Amino acid sequence: MATVQAQTILRDPQLFYWILFPITAVMVLTGVLRHYATVLMQSDPKKQELNAISEQRNLLRGVNLRTNHNQIPLSSFIARKNYLVAAYNRGDFLKDPENKGKPPANPMTDPAGMDQMMNMLKGNMAMMVPQTLIMGWINAFFSGFVIMKLPFPLTLRFKSMLQSGVATRDLDVRWVSSLSWYFLNLFGLRSIFTFILGNENSADQMSQQMQQMNPAGGNAMFTPGQDPNKMFLAEAENLEVVGGQHEWVLDGVVDRLLKSTV
Amino acid sequence: MNAEEKDLQINPVVPENVVHNTKTITDIRSLTSSIFGIAAGILGLESYSGFIFYLLGSFIVSVMMVVFIAGGKPQNYFRSASEIWTTEVFSGSSLSSFILTWTLFFGLLRA
Repeated sequence: MATVQAQTILRDPQLFYWILFPITAVMVLTGVLRHYATVLMQSDPKKQELNAISEQRNLLRGVNLRTNHNQIPLSSFIARKNYLVAAYNRGDFLKDPENKGKPPANPMTDPAGMDQMMNMLKGNMAMMVPQTLIMGWINAFFSGFVIMKLPFPLTLRFKSMLQSGVATRDLDVRWVSSLSWYFLNLFGLRSIFTFILGNENSADQMSQQMQQMNPAGGNAMFTPGQDPNKMFLAEAENLEVVGGQHEWVLDGVVDRLLKSTV
Repeated sequence: MNAEEKDLQINPVVPENVVHNTKTITDIRSLTSSIFGIAAGILGLESYSGFIFYLLGSFIVSVMMVVFIAGGKPQNYFRSASEIWTTEVFSGSSLSSFILTWTLFFGLLRA
């Protein structure tokens, strides 16, 4: 019984020059292009009206007081809390106080909401269009033959995906066609972009997709369509609740300091 | 307020600094993992030996980070001691960029 020999395929070295390097170069350049396109397309935040900013900042002030309440003495906290809660309940900071009880405006008609949606759409376009184009390009030109051998074995499951267009039953899964080189690039170029474009780049498709899956970012404060009055009332309630658990962080600081130095 | 929360209030963690520290590690990892991929491809390592090479290399890089960047005291910079050893090693972009350069150089030189 003969030992199983590793399959070797003689390939023209031109394959590397005309397939491997073009795909890599295109992927890198698309990443760079996408980065600069995203930078250019970002519309500047619109200048807001004074009372809209006042509404946001005063709500943020309540949130900050609530998160940092342990940093100030109880009396200071109570004074701030009483002022804010009273003002919240009266609706002093509302953008348009006469709209108090009414249902929120339709987000589609709100220009600020439209702006946000346009930005999201632009980001999506910048991601989807090149991805589809490159996939189509690779499928159209470079399918039907193997170009390289992976340095690690894979299970048979990957065969249909990685050897697309190569209808050979006994070929080792390690021989792959150009589409898998595309996938490797898609995942692996992220750190290359970090060298080229710096850390805050928007070149990578994968990281953008992940960002979109959890958009629970910091700017979710004033999503369009939410009633600001209700948010103020909820914040007032939160402040009242927190007031009962106040514990100044500097209590007993003398003992702690002496203990740490001695 | 329990003891843990109180400790956090007394010694607060600044999120910007945590992000910066993690970014430092990520930068080093992504650079070194691509270089490890090139090295593994040139050496012609296959399957397990390649991954073991990657793990060994990452370990050496971790030791160097602990000694030279963290000054021997990683606990000053990270909340958990294992963070400097494991961040970005098994997940994230470093492993995939290792595989990318490994495959590229293996394909160019060996296969």
